[in-house]
Amino acid sequence: MENIFRDAFTPLQSGVSEFRHSWGGFTTVFSDKKELSQQLQLLEKENKQLNFENQVLREYKAEARRLQKLLDFEDTNQANFDLLPARVIARSPDNWYRYVIIDKGSKHGLQKGMPVINYDGLVGRIGSVSKNSAQVSLITDREVAVGALLQETRDTNGIIEGIGNINHLRMVNIPYYSKIKKNNRVVTSSLSEIYPKGIYIGKVIDISREPNGLLLSATVQPAVDFDKLEEVLIITAYHPISTDDEVEE
Amino acid sequence: MRYIMLFLLPCIAIFLQSTLFSFFSIKGALPDMVLIFVVFFALLNNVYKSTAYGFLCGLMEDLYMGRFIGINAIAKGLTAYIFGKLQGNVFKENIFVGIIGVFFATILNAICLFVLSIISFDTFHIDISMVYSVFYQIIYNVLVSAPVYIWFYNSSKEGILRSVGER
Repeated sequence: MENIFRDAFTPLQSGVSEFRHSWGGFTTVFSDKKELSQQLQLLEKENKQLNFENQVLREYKAEARRLQKLLDFEDTNQANFDLLPARVIARSPDNWYRYVIIDKGSKHGLQKGMPVINYDGLVGRIGSVSKNSAQVSLITDREVAVGALLQETRDTNGIIEGIGNINHLRMVNIPYYSKIKKNNRVVTSSLSEIYPKGIYIGKVIDISREPNGLLLSATVQPAVDFDKLEEVLIITAYHPISTDDEVEE
Repeated sequence: MRYIMLFLLPCIAIFLQSTLFSFFSIKGALPDMVLIFVVFFALLNNVYKSTAYGFLCGLMEDLYMGRFIGINAIAKGLTAYIFGKLQGNVFKENIFVGIIGVFFATILNAICLFVLSIISFDTFHIDISMVYSVFYQIIYNVLVSAPVYIWFYNSSKEGILRSVGER
């Protein structure tokens, strides 16, 4: 009798159990989906945060690399120059003048006329100084001129002039008999009182004859990428290396 | 409040040009936001106020740059004077008036600066890159001028730049 009852209820019980099981699975799908969706949102958020952190770290890495180059440059040139690093905080607000503002001023010992370089080459000179900042006239500025010579031949003296274009400089007063060629490296000469001798300015990319026929002029591509200039070094003092000949004299 | 805002506008323009816009220069050329504000002011005000505002904005720019003081003051004052003279004959509600105004003002301002530079500097280098620089600046100025004109016009009619007499 007991078994008959049990057997009679069995299909019903198993049906209910089946239903409970299916319903349980069904609700689990929903609850799991909700949980998964929350997890997905969290992971997406975390991913975005990590991406952002990664971007920041890449920026730091690039900055560290630049600063390392500056430090290396400072170390190798310590014997000749006293260098003061500075950060570019603003640029010229118009197209006629080419200058940058740096975060060091008279408080840090800067004076008007001090040469400014970075690890690529010559940047310019200090144009004006305030207490906490200074204006650096870039060599691409129309008002800046630098005595220059060719590093390879050493025989061609000329003057590098800014033409207001950040990608080009003009070298003028080159004698017509000069052996100047394309890709010659141009460095500062000893003619200038402001700039130490031998600082890399750029390379010759084009040569043309002046209308008078006696002189040549050259277009020079600056070594420094002025668009990406973020840190500079100011030469606060320099000690020219005296050669044996000069010592004898 | 209007005068404070008119004073702040060139300050903000110089600040933006020397920081933010320098990262987005077109072939090394930057927009002249100060000129844009001067032109819009001149299009919406009388010739005397416009000339004075143009001159003062230019002077502020010259003082900030610390080079040849007066060159921008004269150039912008003159540009503002010409646009102040023209403002009675144009339909100011049209945004194209602002854009075309900036287009011609950029050329006029560049010519003024060029002439003044030649007069003032003995060693001023005339180069084709200057023409390119002005060309790119025209593009930049025109692009920037459209949204700025909408804001400037609305502010001058009903907002913060409305003069006291019109309230």
